[in-house]
Amino acid sequence: MQEPYIVASWPSVPVEIVRAAGFRPVMIRGASGPTPAADTHLEPGIFPSRLRRLVEDALTGRLTHAARIVIPRTSDADYKCFLYLRELVRRGVTTALAPIVLFDLLQSRGPDVPAYDVARVHALLDELSSASGRLASDDDLRGEIVRANAARAAARRLVELRRPVPRVAGAEVFPLLAAFWEMNPDRYAEMASDAATRPPLAGPRVLLTGVPVDRHTLHETIESHGAVVVDEVGPWGSGAAGDDVRIDEDPVAALAEKYRDDSIGARTPVDALRRLTQSRLDEVDAVVVSLPPDDAVFGWDYPALRDVLNARRIPHVCLRSDPYERPTPADHAALDVMVSAASQLHEARHG
Amino acid sequence: MADSQLEATVAASAFQKQWFADLRRRVFDDRQPYALLQADVPFELFDLVDIPAVSNQWWAAIVAAKRQATKFLDAMDADGLHGDLCRYCSLGYASTRYAGAGEAPWGGLPTPRLLCARLACDCIHRVFSLWAATFGAELFEIDHPGAGDLPPRWWELGRSRWRELVEPHRLAFVVSTLERLIERLEAISGRRLDRDALRERLELVNQQEEVFDAVRHLIAAAPECPVRMTEQITNVMATQWVRGSTWALAHARAFHDEVKRRVDDGVAACPGECARLMWIGAGLWHDTAFYTAFEASHRAVFVWSMYLAFGPDGYIRYGLDDPMAALASRTASFNEYLHNPPWAAEWIVHQAREHRIDGALVLRPRSMKPGATGRLFIERALEEAGIPVLPIEADVVDARGWDADGARASVRSFLDTRVLQ
Repeated sequence: MQEPYIVASWPSVPVEIVRAAGFRPVMIRGASGPTPAADTHLEPGIFPSRLRRLVEDALTGRLTHAARIVIPRTSDADYKCFLYLRELVRRGVTTALAPIVLFDLLQSRGPDVPAYDVARVHALLDELSSASGRLASDDDLRGEIVRANAARAAARRLVELRRPVPRVAGAEVFPLLAAFWEMNPDRYAEMASDAATRPPLAGPRVLLTGVPVDRHTLHETIESHGAVVVDEVGPWGSGAAGDDVRIDEDPVAALAEKYRDDSIGARTPVDALRRLTQSRLDEVDAVVVSLPPDDAVFGWDYPALRDVLNARRIPHVCLRSDPYERPTPADHAALDVMVSAASQLHEARHG
Repeated sequence: MADSQLEATVAASAFQKQWFADLRRRVFDDRQPYALLQADVPFELFDLVDIPAVSNQWWAAIVAAKRQATKFLDAMDADGLHGDLCRYCSLGYASTRYAGAGEAPWGGLPTPRLLCARLACDCIHRVFSLWAATFGAELFEIDHPGAGDLPPRWWELGRSRWRELVEPHRLAFVVSTLERLIERLEAISGRRLDRDALRERLELVNQQEEVFDAVRHLIAAAPECPVRMTEQITNVMATQWVRGSTWALAHARAFHDEVKRRVDDGVAACPGECARLMWIGAGLWHDTAFYTAFEASHRAVFVWSMYLAFGPDGYIRYGLDDPMAALASRTASFNEYLHNPPWAAEWIVHQAREHRIDGALVLRPRSMKPGATGRLFIERALEEAGIPVLPIEADVVDARGWDADGARASVRSFLDTRVLQ
């Protein structure tokens, strides 16, 4: 029998809560390919690939067995997707669909936000517990936090293979890091610990930023030019684990704080994202900024980032194409120029 | 054909220009604070502590109408801000950040003491952070908790049963944030916000919107539309930014009386009216002549936009025992009412029927992503209600990609083939 699962649209839903309630988390990710059913309802140029896929799956019966569809308030597009799905159910466009839940975790820095978020995490736990019939105690939650923290430690060991000297290609390690969100944490910790130490990889080290990528397609493209992607600003690669969740008497509050402060998405405060990005620049030779056509947010950060990169003489390229599609010749040409400049910088630094 | 503008329209335009001149004088000469706000922030709170407030969307519309937007937006492009980012909410920022690129209307925006925005869409935090940094001014953000419960026919609940419209935890959050905003405003102005005065102001806002409700019913019921949509917008929006003030209420009444006289006298914006149109979305500020372009050729007149209709349905709150909660209930779901399912489509179809609409033009915004959501639900609902729909792709402040002739040709064809056949 299939393990009961919930589907989430972004990894800002606390997996510890999901598991404590007796479910396996499944995160929807983007992919190339048509989404004809979703396109009937979702306006073009607004919803990222992962949300188009979510609605496509919802309308074509692929989510029939999910216990809940949890949509976090990670972006305006996610919130609108929640409203759309609810309406499609109300209008009878789709009927074989699990209840759709909005997880309204806010990320702004107002003093009213933490208490609001704690209440929302409690509400999510209640909702999932009622779905599974399993009432999770604080001890259950603490147990899940311990397991997830062990997986986080394993993910951090994988990250150490990437920097300061890369020993594993970005395209290879990214799926392993991304698996943190869905894999059984005990198995994840074992798997990540088995990763062998490798000899150093040649080529300039690249940071991938802009709209967070959820697959390694762009890594493959960049690495086909002789560079190594050693870091990403986003929740799927090096940012998957982050710091541990603290273990104390109020596990719900600890989770609310962790996911509010560490979740990376369109509503992450700009100062936090800027600090995060700039903290990574010491260990890279070049930066790729991905700003696909559905971007409404991260492009605002680009001029300031560009000025920092220029001041630090770090080559960069800004890619506007859809990361799930084949890169354009112009993308390849720009990457060639960037890698060439970064190689010179890399040699000058490291000989 | 009623070529001359209403006296109220001339007065509204003059008021806005004078108001802005007074603001500049007050800021530069008297060194008094003012605030820059997103349109959905409760302006009443600022006015009650004597901090005048300029609406970002109003300012963007003025810049676009004065044909200056292109220069600022070109500068924005040249600085690396890609073309898919929202231009409507950021044109004001561009007119500050790239001030040398164009000539901002009426001397431009002085430096505000405070910027304030609801984080109703993702880009607002970015745009207002950049804008505040450019000015070196403080930013106050009102976060936007998402609605998990959306009872149908929101406009029937909004006036008296508004607590049913907003879930308690969302309402409490917005109240709490507004209380913090008041603390900041009191600190800036040195004045205490009088809660009784807030209740009285909201009662005056109710009265103002009741007047607009009466205007809306006059327009809906008149045999032919008595006042063009563009004039409706000018009169409504001039009062909305200072809503509940003595001038706003008096002006609303003057506007009402003038419209009523027209109805009584049988004056029509477009005599021999053959087609009644509605415009769904923000106004096309760089080409407002578009809205009258089909009167001579097809006797087609724009009757409805959200600007007049939303006031009565979105703002009136009866039962003001707790005025902060009432204000918060209006603030909490602004965008969902106007754009998103199920609320927007239901309301717009209801409005279309009340106004005997023959055809709807739905804006497909090029860069304004939140404004573009829900559009397909609205289009489908209108078509299902028997109202033909023509989508119009445009940016409301950026004229650079606007094919004025092509759009007019599309509308003429739409009128010929779907509306007047």
